[in-house]
Amino acid sequence: MNRKEENLCDVEEFIAEYAAHMMGCGIHTSRVIRSAKRIGEAYGYVVKISVFQKSLILTLKDEHNPCSEVVDIPSLPISFEHNSELSALSWETYDDHLPLDILRGKYNRIISAPPIHPPIVLLFASLANASFCRLFGGDWCSMGIVFLATVAGLFLKQKMSASGINHYIVFIASALAASLCASTSLIFDTTSDIALATSVLFLVPGVPLINGVIDIVEGHTLTGFARLTQAALLIICIAIGLSSTLFFVKDRLI
Amino acid sequence: MIAINILSDAFFAAIAGIGFGAISNPPLRAFRYIALLAAVGHACRYCLMTFSGVEIATASLAGAFIIGMGSLWFGKKVHSPMTVLYIPALLPMIPGKFAYNMVFSLIMFLHSMDDPVEKMKYMDMFFSNTMVTITVVFLLAVGATFPLFLFPKRASSLTRHKI
Repeated sequence: MNRKEENLCDVEEFIAEYAAHMMGCGIHTSRVIRSAKRIGEAYGYVVKISVFQKSLILTLKDEHNPCSEVVDIPSLPISFEHNSELSALSWETYDDHLPLDILRGKYNRIISAPPIHPPIVLLFASLANASFCRLFGGDWCSMGIVFLATVAGLFLKQKMSASGINHYIVFIASALAASLCASTSLIFDTTSDIALATSVLFLVPGVPLINGVIDIVEGHTLTGFARLTQAALLIICIAIGLSSTLFFVKDRLI
Repeated sequence: MIAINILSDAFFAAIAGIGFGAISNPPLRAFRYIALLAAVGHACRYCLMTFSGVEIATASLAGAFIIGMGSLWFGKKVHSPMTVLYIPALLPMIPGKFAYNMVFSLIMFLHSMDDPVEKMKYMDMFFSNTMVTITVVFLLAVGATFPLFLFPKRASSLTRHKI
């Protein structure tokens, strides 16, 4: 058992970084708090934590001294892999009493693991959107057009995000590109309204939407509403991009 | 023919679940369960709507609840939190056509401000589509999250390897 063997402030510094990373990569608040407390408990310390959308406040205590820190939550891409592995790491620390240096090594390995290769994501997401078109009653021609529209929209999103452009602008531009490509379906005798409707759906921010509801239901109303507000703004950006296309082609859709 | 329709619905929902999941970088071991949950959930909603005449909101709630329960079951097998499995599996049930009609009717409403009949038609269309979209998305989230409150102990220890 590592009870009190590790320095209080070293453990606090690690837990602050760990919790901020979990919040940044799209994990709902109660899981972040549970995992952070679990790691603190494994070292024999009590963890108190307040979570906001852009920062968190963490205090670690033993019988005599507290150690506190306010950390910024970084903006990171959503990662379910980090969600799974970091949560499992907290249990491993709790059950196997990992020393802090080994814990940090495992944490660094998890967060530096490469994500799925972008071209593979592009292919899978485009197939997904084409399937979505089929689920809404689109025909094979519409599916092909939606596939190509998604390739164009998502490719633009990946490139713009990698260049560090503001993500609202990225969402507007990607929705515009995908819906403009999908509007070529108006040339053909096909289900063009379904093609247009589904072309932008790969952008729907499902993770903050659902995490927002979970947070609110679990009593973390501030972070829940912050996540829902973030999701609503992104949905408005998608609507702006789609509206711009519809503005040009509306007469052919009526 | 009915069986083919159900299987085709499940098949395309599975592909949609895998693809939308890939955007959020899930662990590789979770993909097959995401596909399975997306297929079962969407096929359930399809059957309820097509053969039982249930409307989209209730059918989505039922589909989402099945996905939530499934993610609780499979989460232990792949040591992944429920959200990792159920969020990608829910995405094929997003009411995209209603969301599109919402945006389309807003544009047409603004375009027909001088024609009271057309204006009212598009306003009605906007509100009905908005209500359906918001209700379905909310019920999807609630339905899938509900098992988390029914079985909180299991839900919080899915990533634990030690029994």
